[in-house]
Amino acid sequence: MNRTVPFGLRIGPIVGLLLLVSGCGPSGPPQFHLNMVAIAEMQIPPDQQQQIANVLDAMFGTPDEPFVLPESGLDIKKIQMAAGPVKSDQFGRETGLYRRHCGHCHGTTGDGLGPTAMLLDPYPRDYRQGKFKFKSTERAAKPTTDDLERVVRDGVQGTAMPSFGLLPDAQIKALVEYVKYLSMRGQAESYLTSAMADLSEGEKLSLARETLVDEMLQPIAESWTTARDSIIPTDGENAKPDVPPAESIAKGSELFYGVKGNCAKCHGWSALGDGQTNDYDDWSKAIFEAHQSLDSDVATLDSSSEMSSEERAALAQHVAMLGRALETDALPPRHAMPRNLRQGIYRGGRRPVDVFYRIYAGINGAPMPAVGPASPGAQGTLTPAEIWNLVDYVMSLPYQPISEPPRQQPAVSRAAL
Amino acid sequence: MGKFWSVLFLMVPVLGVASFAVAPLYRHWLPLDVSEHGHTIDHLFYFILWLTGAVFVVTEVAMFWFMWRYGHDQAKSGKFTHGSHSLEIVWTIIPAATLLFIAIYQMNAWAEAKIINPGAGPDGILGTADDMPATLEVTGRQFEWRLRYPVPPRLRNEALGRPADSKGADDDTDKDLFVVNEMHIPVNEEILINLKSADVLHSFFLPNMRVKQDAVPGMKIPVWFRTMETGTFDIVCAELCGWGHYKMKGRLTIESRAAFDKWLVDKYREQSATHGLQPVPEGDSE
Repeated sequence: MNRTVPFGLRIGPIVGLLLLVSGCGPSGPPQFHLNMVAIAEMQIPPDQQQQIANVLDAMFGTPDEPFVLPESGLDIKKIQMAAGPVKSDQFGRETGLYRRHCGHCHGTTGDGLGPTAMLLDPYPRDYRQGKFKFKSTERAAKPTTDDLERVVRDGVQGTAMPSFGLLPDAQIKALVEYVKYLSMRGQAESYLTSAMADLSEGEKLSLARETLVDEMLQPIAESWTTARDSIIPTDGENAKPDVPPAESIAKGSELFYGVKGNCAKCHGWSALGDGQTNDYDDWSKAIFEAHQSLDSDVATLDSSSEMSSEERAALAQHVAMLGRALETDALPPRHAMPRNLRQGIYRGGRRPVDVFYRIYAGINGAPMPAVGPASPGAQGTLTPAEIWNLVDYVMSLPYQPISEPPRQQPAVSRAAL
Repeated sequence: MGKFWSVLFLMVPVLGVASFAVAPLYRHWLPLDVSEHGHTIDHLFYFILWLTGAVFVVTEVAMFWFMWRYGHDQAKSGKFTHGSHSLEIVWTIIPAATLLFIAIYQMNAWAEAKIINPGAGPDGILGTADDMPATLEVTGRQFEWRLRYPVPPRLRNEALGRPADSKGADDDTDKDLFVVNEMHIPVNEEILINLKSADVLHSFFLPNMRVKQDAVPGMKIPVWFRTMETGTFDIVCAELCGWGHYKMKGRLTIESRAAFDKWLVDKYREQSATHGLQPVPEGDSE
């Protein structure tokens, strides 16, 4: 009998042992990443990239050792609870909550590029633009702490965001603080990237602490701390009028299909979300436009013969950098789909007041426009009473036969469009 | 080495039995049973555990004895036999009879848990006018349990502050209560759940109720049980349903009928809110 053991069998246990000792995953602590798409688009050279990273490091620390300036208004205790590797101490106090519950979708940097992000539709939120969809504040305002906690607690129905309602209150609060931290860091990064891009030849960006705090951090922090001033009131003239539901629903239907509300344009004439479906939200639009500019640059490279060889080399380098960034640091852009209102799935919450906020202020970052007044006292497209009619109509749609509203676009509205 | 290997082998049955004996001391045993029919499930579990445990000990000890007796004697070679008709008959008939016995012995437990649906009418068929209304509908979704409760008109009126006998005012909007992961049920009542899945296979598992049922996309599967004690317990997913399977956890609260009704009213009121927080006056922000 041949006693020779195959090579694979002899080496197998050794390889296994090595893997066991070294760990199979990537080594080193996770790092924050710069937004390479923006950097490639604005053609930020490597030394300036390093400066941006240094400033962000000094102001916000690293994923394992976060740091906040007092001017940010952030609570470092909460952030430390959410940051770092997943661990619990001898008293069972858990840290690393973000990495445990959120990071695999929303990414270490909060860029919505975690390993599972590409599998999801819609994509997970990228916090770096500082835009949040489901909130009780004016369209451009930041969400309140309560708004973010509600999203974490209830999840976002119709998306991959599950409910974290069973986590202890302190953990939810810590996670919300960490989301704010990542969002501030992301907005600071865009500020720095644009500032670097705006510099003229030979000019240098002032990186003095005071300048950066005054011009960059303060305004961002303030937008968060003053969010509660921008809550849309739901009492007084915005309160829901006491109208019989049937009457309110009938009025809402008129507005929905009429020129004034014009909801059917996107949500479709059957309210199935089959109206205009080729728009993008702000996150996908940025990537879509980057792809377009890349395509046109490639076309220029291919066709133009008037470029000097230096220009050609520079453009080729830009194309290579942007192409690489779009491949590694972005997901393919997707159209923003208007909601199918007949499913009874309400992403931002199913309380009538949630639907009121959505119609009043629109959805920040999405094509859904605001129809309420832009500022208190101003004239909106619709009055609060009319918005409440729409709320009643929209919330009645899942319970109505699909043939009830006009399935065909009425001639009047068609002419108006 | 002598008889070292046989003694080492003996450790398998010894440690195996010891781990079972010690487990309850470390609370690694069956979760508290608060259901009416759970004891029949537990009884079957123990019956099969003792049966297989006895067979395990006997076979392990026999194997140990052979190693002890003959293993160390390298000079003597074993005697190999091949084919024994009567032995084959014996080792086929004994397990077959045992399995047949278990199959018959468990029939009532299975019928009570999975076939005799309290929601079915007197003819035993679902979907007749005599159906018991479901307490709630549970939909498994990656990675949470979405619950939908019917709210009786009386409680809806109470929640919205309307006269108790007014009806139909909200017929065109949500009559149901929608909750995620937080399940409440009344104690000492027959509970009927319609189980669904929104995406992939899940398994709805209430360890303290001894209830486990796969949720299958496209099917509405009835699940029923009756609880005997109040308290707070776990809802878990017992079918690997994707990368987030581990986080598919819910909380089950069993409470008195009065407390349950109050919970329905409070939650329904919250869901019907037409008021949110009001803005903070200038200069008074958080």
